[in-house]
Amino acid sequence: MDSKKKFSFTFITVVIGFMIAIQFQTVKEPAVRDTRDTWQLRADILKEKELQLKLLREISSNEEKIAQYETKRKQSKEQVLRETLEELKREAGLSEVTGPGIIISIEPVHEELLLGKQADSVSPDLLKRLVNELNMYDAQHISIGGRRIINTTVIRDINRETMIDGFALNHLPIEVKVITENAQSAEKLFNRMQVSNSAEEFFIDNLRVKVEKSAEPITIPAYDEALRIRYMEPVKPDEGGKS
Amino acid sequence: MWLPVLGLIIGVILGLMTDIKVPDEYSNYLSIAVLAALDTLFGGVRAQLQNIYDEKVFVSGFFFNILLAASLAFLGVHLGVDLYLAAVFAFGVRLFQNIAVIRRILIAKWSQNREKTEKNDI
Repeated sequence: MDSKKKFSFTFITVVIGFMIAIQFQTVKEPAVRDTRDTWQLRADILKEKELQLKLLREISSNEEKIAQYETKRKQSKEQVLRETLEELKREAGLSEVTGPGIIISIEPVHEELLLGKQADSVSPDLLKRLVNELNMYDAQHISIGGRRIINTTVIRDINRETMIDGFALNHLPIEVKVITENAQSAEKLFNRMQVSNSAEEFFIDNLRVKVEKSAEPITIPAYDEALRIRYMEPVKPDEGGKS
Repeated sequence: MWLPVLGLIIGVILGLMTDIKVPDEYSNYLSIAVLAALDTLFGGVRAQLQNIYDEKVFVSGFFFNILLAASLAFLGVHLGVDLYLAAVFAFGVRLFQNIAVIRRILIAKWSQNREKTEKNDI
């Protein structure tokens, strides 16, 4: 064997030795053998259990604290104010509402097509009348064509287009969603709308009104613009109820 | 003759001293590479004893076997088949065969030497 051969052989054996050593180190992970006897093990278990107990106690005390804070928060004025605000927002129409109700769709009368005259929009007076009627029958939240109707909503004719708060309502059919307090009042409203006069009034304008009960809860979007209240003033306690 | 053994010892000491650890998921590859290397080493020893040793074959076989074994193990991991067992089997069998051949050759040489010395004594 000449020296070159020997050199390459040696090089390979060095590499092999290196690999073996690394593998040995990798495999031989627990370097220290466990030589504790039963009593030592018992003592260790005891120690660990104590630690566990301590940790559990800490956890429960922290949970208690959380519960305390929670009740404090609930009872605080802030929470009451928040709830009131939520309630008022809901009443004013600034939050999305979901609940039982009916869906009224206003669509053109198809038979009129034959006569060549078709309704293309709803007159604001009719809509106002419909809204008033719904309100009369305990409707709580109303949307027309996806626009929420609130107390200050204006429905009017601008350049021969019916506008709700400045948004044109020119696509027939129009869907009117109404949410009532509960399923019972929804039923009542449904029955009343079935026999109401407004259907006939819409029919004069070549529009047909269909009233449906919805099996699933109806969702009405929130009023998405800022409320501008210009002529409203809070009632002073001693003046209340005079007018 | 002693230089390769010295190299092996140096390699082991180097490996132990550097304190390198391979991550657990790669220890499979290293073990199979070690097996391939050992196989090549004993193959080389046998070839040397049979006087058919070729340096190029030895060195290329060393690296090629290691790479092949590792890639086989890699493929096995990705296919979900324990393909590295194939490599373990092949290398294990060859290792035993090589060692057996080396042992026979050594025994033959040893008995020849003894016959010679006995003849010389007589």
